[in-house]
Amino acid sequence: MSGAIIDLSKESVPEALSTEVCIVGSGCGGATAARLLAEAGHEVIVLEEGRDLVGPERNQRDSEMYDQLYMDRGGRATSDLSVSVLQGRVLGGGGVINACDVVPAPEPVLAHWAGKYGLEDFAPGRFGSFAEDALDDLSASRIPESLVNSANNKLRVGAEALGYRGEVMMHNRVGCQGLGTCLIGCPVHAKRNPRMVALPKAIAAGARVFTRARAVEIRQPGQEVKEIRVRTLDPLGYHEQGELMLRAKVVIVAANAIASAQLLLRSGIGNLHVGRNLMLQPQLPVIGFFKEEINGFDLVPQSYAVTEFEQEDNQDHGLWGYRIEGIMGTPGIVSTLLPFSGAEAMQEMAQYNRMAASLLLAPDQPSGRVEVGRGGRLIIQYEQRPDHQERLRQAVYNTARIYLAVGATQVVVPTGPPLVIRTTGDAKKAREIAFAPATAPLVSAHQQGTVRMAPSERDGGADPDGKVYGTRDIYVFDSSGFPSSASSHTMTPIIAASRMLTTKLLTRI
Amino acid sequence: MTVPESEQNAHEGLFSFLSRRKFLKAGLVAGGALLGVGGGGLLILRGSAPKVDGLQVLDAHEYQTVKSLVEIMFPRTDAIPIDVESMDLPRAFDEFLMGEPKHNVKDLKKALVLIEFGPLVFDRRVSTFSRLDPEARLDHWKGWATSDSLLRRQVSVAMRKFFNLVFFDREAVWPFIGYPGPSLYRSRSVKQ
Repeated sequence: MSGAIIDLSKESVPEALSTEVCIVGSGCGGATAARLLAEAGHEVIVLEEGRDLVGPERNQRDSEMYDQLYMDRGGRATSDLSVSVLQGRVLGGGGVINACDVVPAPEPVLAHWAGKYGLEDFAPGRFGSFAEDALDDLSASRIPESLVNSANNKLRVGAEALGYRGEVMMHNRVGCQGLGTCLIGCPVHAKRNPRMVALPKAIAAGARVFTRARAVEIRQPGQEVKEIRVRTLDPLGYHEQGELMLRAKVVIVAANAIASAQLLLRSGIGNLHVGRNLMLQPQLPVIGFFKEEINGFDLVPQSYAVTEFEQEDNQDHGLWGYRIEGIMGTPGIVSTLLPFSGAEAMQEMAQYNRMAASLLLAPDQPSGRVEVGRGGRLIIQYEQRPDHQERLRQAVYNTARIYLAVGATQVVVPTGPPLVIRTTGDAKKAREIAFAPATAPLVSAHQQGTVRMAPSERDGGADPDGKVYGTRDIYVFDSSGFPSSASSHTMTPIIAASRMLTTKLLTRI
Repeated sequence: MTVPESEQNAHEGLFSFLSRRKFLKAGLVAGGALLGVGGGGLLILRGSAPKVDGLQVLDAHEYQTVKSLVEIMFPRTDAIPIDVESMDLPRAFDEFLMGEPKHNVKDLKKALVLIEFGPLVFDRRVSTFSRLDPEARLDHWKGWATSDSLLRRQVSVAMRKFFNLVFFDREAVWPFIGYPGPSLYRSRSVKQ
């Protein structure tokens, strides 16, 4: 059988198709499973709602790229608009639009999962080889000094001046040209992501990959053969234009913790845990302004992290505390983070090339849920807990001190009303940030937990093999299964988990 | 095979937050003022809008509201001396909405009504948004971001996110913010 990428917005396939394995989602979890299954000789079809957007088509422009590479055209958010929920919608999924941060699940976190949640296969001794394989898949390495951009260097120098521990981050780029637009796709394909590694291998082994293909329902979850109802989309992915039915013995849902839960809920599949325990790991941007030009739009936009305040072994939560990570982006997206209006906003954005921004990343405990509302519409409910708000306030305080230590003229915290910090005394105002809904541009890039794995169906939506309780061979192989935050960056844990779960699946089919 | 697009399968987005219930609730807050003026009074207050050719989703009044909004969001300044009218951002918005699900468009249209009558509804001023002078309009608009009403804050967030992304993605702006444009097309040596 020959593998291929088939764009269903342009090419037609029979309206009734059969395969052995159907995988929903082509990101880190889905592509990894597709590769391993296809290489083991199984018949695989992958469904991806996005298109295959490659090379110079990734034109580094905000408007077009957020529209074409992100779910809901970049507009996905919690129901109260408090948290912007970033999710890839392109062949290769989140790996195409992420910042390439390689952070494996820390061993204390894995031990926490094994001990507290009974997920013994994740115990460091058992899971270690899969984590190593994931690092190989990613060609993981430390970001070279020559690619650390100036905005991140401001964070580093300031942190070092205050004696805070930090590190140049690990990444999955090979041949990076420092083009700086990682968050809207790399036009020269330097990212060793699912689009460049797992999917080509899966296709070479015979997997068929359907793009502009939206799985809308899984039927007959208890039968040997399941039916997956698929809507095909128009070339830009705006509207549905056709429908086909796919029959498969094994269904692997790997569409991210939001979309995987949404699909199961819409299909009426799973127990009461499905959709619950949502973690968004919301991040707050903070922007330092400097007199000198920084030009943070060049080189690797996220390359340095202050890890001083991060805890990997919190007894209750596993990963906890917070980290401060440098970040910069293209003008459009940066401008959306600033809290000003009118002439004041124009004045601040005129200093775009003198800005150095950070994202303050604090792991959360389950604090939300995915629901489907009237007519099946997606609802993402999330309540930021007081402990999360408090850690972000502390992070704001320390980030402001770091930027001021390295010469920032002001540090802007994009809350409503805006908090402008010009002295270390001002930094104490961070205590006053209220975090009322829709007053700060919180961002989620690491959604987890909505189909939590657990040894008993009383405690989770899927068993330790990733099989959704109450189904026959319907699995979830993505961050939905994580019982607590796996890492500050979920790409590596998802690939490792998918490797482990697929390896187990291969012993049974 | 062509299929009718279902609400179930249509994507969500930045403008899908205004459920009918929330909108009506917001309307109740404004009820006294609106009832005082009455439907006919509202139309008189709004006045007529210049005809705009080629619109696909917005009508002339909605176009006018958006135009009034972006005028104060992106005023011509010494720092960025751009005339936002030359960009026709309302038309870009109209084009964006063509790709949105119907329920999002409906919600957005409700939001535009709320913005247009915001001065009356929230500030008890006998004026519409578009008829306020720019300074008063900006003052009024700033109040949306910090309002006690979640709905108003949501509208503020949604509008800022969309229009900022589009405005600062325009090449004409870049020379004034020190951005040399997409790196792939710059004459530059590769930094390794």
